[in-house]
Amino acid sequence: MGIIIYKFKKKPLIYTFIFICFITSIIFVYHNYGFYERPIAKVIQTDLEDSTDITDIHDNNDRIFTQQIIAEIKNGEEKGQLIHLTNKYSLSRANDQPYQKGNEVFVSFEKNTIENPQLTGNITDVKRDKYIVIVAWIFIFTLLIVGKKQGLFASISLAVNILLLSYALDIYVRTDMNLLWICGIMVILFTIISLLLVNGFNEKTYTAIIATLLGTFSSLLITYFAIWIASENGLYYEEMQYLTRPYRLIFLAGLFIGSLGAVMDVAISLSSATFELYNKNNDISVKALKASGMEIGKDIMGTMTNILFFAYISGSIPMLILYLKNYSPLGFTLSINLSLELARALAGGIGIVLTIPIGLYTSIFFIKRKRENS
Amino acid sequence: MNVLVLLAIILFALMIWIGGKKGARSFLSLFLNFGVILVSVFFMMDPNADPIIITLIACTVISCINLFYINEVNSKTVTAFISTLITVTILLFFIYIVTKKAMIQGFGEEEMDEISVIFSLYPGLDFVKISAAVIIMSTIGAVTDIAISITSPMQEIFNQHPSIKKKELFTSGLSIGKDILGSNTNTLFFAFIGGYMALLIWYKDLSYSFGDIVNSKIFSAEMITIFCAGIGIALVIPIASLINAHYLIKIRDKKSDSKI
Repeated sequence: MGIIIYKFKKKPLIYTFIFICFITSIIFVYHNYGFYERPIAKVIQTDLEDSTDITDIHDNNDRIFTQQIIAEIKNGEEKGQLIHLTNKYSLSRANDQPYQKGNEVFVSFEKNTIENPQLTGNITDVKRDKYIVIVAWIFIFTLLIVGKKQGLFASISLAVNILLLSYALDIYVRTDMNLLWICGIMVILFTIISLLLVNGFNEKTYTAIIATLLGTFSSLLITYFAIWIASENGLYYEEMQYLTRPYRLIFLAGLFIGSLGAVMDVAISLSSATFELYNKNNDISVKALKASGMEIGKDIMGTMTNILFFAYISGSIPMLILYLKNYSPLGFTLSINLSLELARALAGGIGIVLTIPIGLYTSIFFIKRKRENS
Repeated sequence: MNVLVLLAIILFALMIWIGGKKGARSFLSLFLNFGVILVSVFFMMDPNADPIIITLIACTVISCINLFYINEVNSKTVTAFISTLITVTILLFFIYIVTKKAMIQGFGEEEMDEISVIFSLYPGLDFVKISAAVIIMSTIGAVTDIAISITSPMQEIFNQHPSIKKKELFTSGLSIGKDILGSNTNTLFFAFIGGYMALLIWYKDLSYSFGDIVNSKIFSAEMITIFCAGIGIALVIPIASLINAHYLIKIRDKKSDSKI
């Protein structure tokens, strides 16, 4: 708290503004029922009706519970009325969950008959918007407290990137522009915005922008080439087949954008380090710059590839467990669920490693030019 | 030829070219980490095992691989290791509560359509804990990265100014952390977005309204993962700075005591 009060004295305007945003958004998500067309109900009473033990064909034991729920409708014509709902849930909660007093859910109505005038219906989904907003604010405040100004800029760049992405996907869905072109333009915008916001307007940032773009485009080329040579052998698109669009293209686009952050990180680390060395000693030789740049590259290469690896692979864990619990063969499970993720992780790794020499030589190029001019 | 094998060979060649021996170790660490994930998946399949404890053990092993194997065992990596574990433990409890409250465990409707026909959805496991484990595992790479990126320059600063005060050392750790905070949150953000492009396009194609998207299970799980990852990244910065400052000063005081 002390830090916040201290910061508040220094920059009252910005912090008041953030605080007002925080309060209004929290009030908003707790009272935004009127903005939804789908009926929302708030659970006011739950009764456990019964529970049965079940064993599935693979001898997995579970228990199914039935819950009777009374909830109050919060919006629409039925606002204020009570609705009776039935909910089934299992111990596993893979696709269901118990509800408690205070939970808010989306419901659909069933026709009420003359014998049964009570309002009944089914739960279609959970209202999750307030949790996203709360966690988002915890995220923003942690970033602000730890990172101060940089934290603020990091949150802003995240917000801008989300808006940009949503806008670009809208364009893609509405017009029939080629997705790779849209992604190409997005990648350029993402890079410029994120790097400028996070690192400010200076020569390090300009160098990093160029290195990032060269790095991502060349890694995309290499990956595309590899996929083409191996004629897509070993890639299973089953995971994406619900799509009504060319999923190969969408996979490539995801791969393109996915490695962007990591490549930016490598590019800015290299350019700041080499410019730092040059600023400390203006007469430093190109050879010495190359040697220390490569040394830095070696240090960050391993951890950066690991970051991408975990970010991609972990998401598949629940699906892997479900497949294996249903006695799917291991090889089949892995290739169906992980082939695309592994391809993304490997392609991202290629981008990271390629960016090390690219970033280093771009920095050296700019340093040389600067030296000639001065 | 298999695409994955070909990509792996290209990556291996590039890593050796740039990093030599250390490159080879980095490449191998990917395989080791993959092994750790698979083994934890097997353990999580046991209904009597607690996925949270399995995750904590897996995170310990993974940070050992990322810190001690790629680098080596020294005071920098040891303090980074301790800070990683503390951060992961704090974060895990936070994430478990969020996962339970927001009900983002398990699978979304969009993933369910096909598999619910062939598969039994009642394996008798606790998917709330498994989903919390997933979020932690997706962040662990970034947390260890930040921890080592803070402790190693702090050691440099300490070596150059041996008489530095504890508070100064701590603030210098914080300011290093601030510089890498933004680019690391971006790294994770783009990685998650890249993985979910298909889903986002699908939402737009089916003209989901903004409210539908925000409340859908997969999307909210994804957003909460991004935010939790960011919180983890920000949290490890003060923790690593504090522990490292404390440790370095303690070592120095011990040395000066023994001299007297």
